Amino acid sequence: MIKNNTVRVLAIAPLSRGLGYAVMEGPDKLVACVNKAILRHKNVGALAWVKKFVQFYKPEILVLPDVNAADTRRAARIKTLHRNIVTWAKKQHLKVRLISITQVRVQLLGKTKGTKQAVAETLAEKFPVELGKRLPPKRRPWMSEDPRMDIFDAVGLAAVFWPKVK
Amino acid sequence: MKSLPNYLQTQRKRLSLSQEEVGFLLGLAGMNKGNKVCRDENFARKPSLQDALAYEVIYGRPVRELFAGRYQQAQQNVAARAKVLNFRKVRKPDVRKQQAIIQLADQASINPSN
Repeated sequence: MIKNNTVRVLAIAPLSRGLGYAVMEGPDKLVACVNKAILRHKNVGALAWVKKFVQFYKPEILVLPDVNAADTRRAARIKTLHRNIVTWAKKQHLKVRLISITQVRVQLLGKTKGTKQAVAETLAEKFPVELGKRLPPKRRPWMSEDPRMDIFDAVGLAAVFWPKVK
Repeated sequence: MKSLPNYLQTQRKRLSLSQEEVGFLLGLAGMNKGNKVCRDENFARKPSLQDALAYEVIYGRPVRELFAGRYQQAQQNVAARAKVLNFRKVRKPDVRKQQAIIQLADQASINPSN
């Protein structure tokens, strides 16, 4: 965990439809959060977007999900994309921080088990202005995952990066 | 940390306004009102003083906060010039003037984020 709160953090959540990203400049300052859908050549397209985001926001630290953690299952394509992003970031001398889904749940929900919807609702409460309207309805068994959930995955990573204030 | 040149997009999203709507509020003419707002948000265009003040009115935040990066840059430049001015020899020393210049020159060290 960092002690200095004056850094810009770019969190990227690579997912099946594309990627979600969030930029934070402190534990309470969410600068941007967007989901980017990529239709074809997903890994090439996603890496190009990551490069654009880094160029635009000039973050000090890149936060990514830990796809190799014991509690995480990810498709081979996403693991490859993750590897490519980490390799590229290291070439750019960008600090990379990996956060597992359990760390997100522990910090946001206070327990190791929980749904993505619960995490999203916690984040919407924390950032009501930025995320309140973007909270998707509760997913039913016959529904696909809402594309807006990518945003909450990325914001969750960025929010957990900062040390918890007691 | 160096601030972004501006935080216009963050503030616009906070109010759920579209670029077109902000363009209209700014009083921009023509069909592509949103384009200029888009260019402002992507740091491709420096808005005029009139536009900057209009942004302050629309978003309810001071200009120095909306254009934090540009403000930091200006502050740094002024502090550097104030240091030069501080070393100038003056015929009639003025205490108030000297204090103001020293205060300006110290601004860079007060804000280590610059």
